[in-house]
Amino acid sequence: MRLLIVEDNVALADELTADLQRAGYAVDWLADGRDALYQGASEPYDLILLDLGLPGKSGLEILREWRATGMNRPVLILTARDHWAERIDGLKAGADDYLTKPFHPEELQLRIQALLRRAHGQVNQPQLDVAGLQLDEAHQTVIKQGEQIELTAAEFSLLRYFMLHCGKIISKSQLNDHLYDGETERDSNVIEVHVNHLRSKLGKSAIETKRGQGYRFIGIHSDDR
Amino acid sequence: MMRALNSIQQRLSISLIAVLILVGLLLAQMSLWLFDQGLRRYLENHLQDEAELLVAALARGANGIELDQQHISAAYHRPFSGHYFCIHIDEQQWRSRSSWDFSLPEPAREGLMQDLIDGPQAQQLLIVRADYRRFGKNMLIVVAQDYTPMLDSFRRVQWIGGGIGLGALMLLVLLQRYLVARALEPLEQVRTQIAQLQQGQRAQLDAQVPQELQPLVQQINHLLHHTEDTLTRSRNALGNLGHALKTPLAILFSLANRQELNSHQELRDNLRSQLTHMQERISRELGRARLAGEALPGAYFVCATELPDLISTLAQIHGRNLTINWSAADNLRLPWDRQDILELLGNLLDNACKWAQHKVTLAVARDGGNFFITIDDDGPGIAPELRTQVLNRGARIDEQIQGHGLGLGIVRDIVEHCKGELGLHESPLGGLRVVIRLPAPNS
Repeated sequence: MRLLIVEDNVALADELTADLQRAGYAVDWLADGRDALYQGASEPYDLILLDLGLPGKSGLEILREWRATGMNRPVLILTARDHWAERIDGLKAGADDYLTKPFHPEELQLRIQALLRRAHGQVNQPQLDVAGLQLDEAHQTVIKQGEQIELTAAEFSLLRYFMLHCGKIISKSQLNDHLYDGETERDSNVIEVHVNHLRSKLGKSAIETKRGQGYRFIGIHSDDR
Repeated sequence: MMRALNSIQQRLSISLIAVLILVGLLLAQMSLWLFDQGLRRYLENHLQDEAELLVAALARGANGIELDQQHISAAYHRPFSGHYFCIHIDEQQWRSRSSWDFSLPEPAREGLMQDLIDGPQAQQLLIVRADYRRFGKNMLIVVAQDYTPMLDSFRRVQWIGGGIGLGALMLLVLLQRYLVARALEPLEQVRTQIAQLQQGQRAQLDAQVPQELQPLVQQINHLLHHTEDTLTRSRNALGNLGHALKTPLAILFSLANRQELNSHQELRDNLRSQLTHMQERISRELGRARLAGEALPGAYFVCATELPDLISTLAQIHGRNLTINWSAADNLRLPWDRQDILELLGNLLDNACKWAQHKVTLAVARDGGNFFITIDDDGPGIAPELRTQVLNRGARIDEQIQGHGLGLGIVRDIVEHCKGELGLHESPLGGLRVVIRLPAPNS
C-alpha cells in the first residue's frame, strides 16, 4: 500500500513517515499544496493523508479540486482544526475521515487500516479477514487455520496488498507502483522472490501466476485444508 | 421599536392639536370680538339718528313742549319691542310706550354705554345718551335697543364655528397621522429590517434609505461587519495558535511511541499522560476562547440547513450500522452562533454515537422562551448515582471509550456561556438522555 503524506511541518512528516514505513506502507511526502494537487491525482496512491493548512494551496481547496475531477482515492484529513464546523466542511469537501492533531499514532494506524479496508469493499471489520487468512496488522503476522505465521516486512506489505485485492489479477508493475515509494529502485525480480516466499509459507495455490498478466490471490480454500 | 415610532407619532399629534386649538380659539374669539365692537359702533350711530328723530318730533305746543307721537317709529309703541327711549327736559320726562313699566337708567356720560344693561324680559340693552339744546332748554335723550338677538346669533356662530373647527381639527389630525406615517416609512422599514436582523433573516441593513437615516444604517452595518470581522480574526488567530501548539504535540506523541522507548515503559507512560493533559488543556481553553455566544445576524444556527450535514458527518465518522434521527420544527433557528451550536451538538452526538448500539435521536424544540435540545441513545446509559459525578467539573466519563474525548467539557462551557442548563436522564431508548435547556436571549 502506498500512501502520500501532505504535511508542511517537516518534523511531523518525518515522524509520520517513519511510523508508517514501520507499519509496512510505502510513503511519499509533499509539503507544498500545489505539488500535492498534481501528484496526488497522477500517482497511484492508495490513500492520502492531507493537512489543511498548507503553503501554496489550502488542503480543502486541493480536496475539492480532486473530487471535482473525479479523483476518488481515500483521503484522511489530518489537522489541528478540531471544531465541528471545520470537520463538517472537511467531510463535505470529500474527505473520507478526519483526524485532529495531536493524535495517538495507534489511532492513525487504525484509521488508515479501516479506510483501506473500506475502500476495498470490506466494511466494518476490525481485522483484515480474507479467504481463510487473518492478517494481524499490529504484529505483522498472518493467521492461517489458527496457526500464526511470521512474515518479513516485505512479505507483510505484499500479502496485505494481495488480501485487499483478493481474486483480482494484479500485474507486476501494479505491485511495483503500490509497494514502493517514488524514490525506491524498482525491480520486478524482487517481487517474484517475495511472492515465492509467501507461497512457501501459505501454500502454493494461494497465489496463482497468470502468464503475461501477473498474479491472482486466491487464498486458502476449504479443499486445501 | 414600535413604541418609539408611536411616540414620535403621538408627540407630533399632541403638539399639533395643542397649537391648532390655541390658535383656532384665539382667532375665533378675536374675530367675534372685533365684529361685536363694529356692530355696537354701527348701532350707536343708528341710535344717535333715532335720538335726532326724537328731537325732531318735539314741538312747541299749547302746553309747552310736546312730543308728536305721529312722528316716532311704531316700534316705540309696541310693548317690549326692544326699542326704547326716554327724554328728559328739566322736570319733564317722556318715555316710550314700549318700555312699559321699565325705566331706562340715565347714563353718566354722553354716547354709548360701555356695558349692556339688563332690560325687561331678559333683554340686554345697548344704551346711547345724547344731549341737545332746543327751545332754550337742555335736553337729555336716552335711546336703547335690545342687543339679545345679536348675542344669540353670536352664540350660534360660536357653536357652529366650534363644530366646524373640531371637524377640521380631526381631519387635520388624521391627515397629519397619514403624512407622518408616510414620512416615517423608511424608519419603519429600518425597524422591520432590524427585526429581521435579530431573527437572522438578513445579514445587514439595506443601504437604500433617506439621507437622514443613512449615517445610522451605515454605522449599524459597519458595526456588524466590524464585529464579524473581529470574531473571524480572533478565531483565525486561535486556530493558528492551536495549529502552532498541536502540531508539535502530535510530533511528541509520535516520539513517545518510538521503539527506543519500549524498554522504558514508565517513562513512556509518564510522557503520554503529560502530553494528553497538555492536549486536553489546550483544546479546552482554545475551544472556550472561541465561543461567540449570541449570534451575529446571519450566523444563526438554522436547524434545517445545519443538522443534515452534521448528522451525515457523524454517520460517516461512526460508520457502523447506526441510525441517527433528528427532528426540529420547520424554520427553527437557534439564536446563538452557528459554530458554537455545531460544537455543542457535534460533541454530544459524537458521545452518544460512541455509546449507542443502533440508535441515536436528536430533537430540537422551542417552548416559549426556552430552547430544548434532547439527545437519546440506546447505549448502556449512566447510573443515576453517577450522573451528578459526570456533570461535575473535571469528571471525564467519556474518556473511557476514546483516550482523548473532551466532549462534555466544552459542552459544559458552551451551555454555561449561553446561560443554559445541562441535565442527564434515562432515555426511553434505554440509554442516556441528555437534555439541554437554553434560554432565549432577550433582544
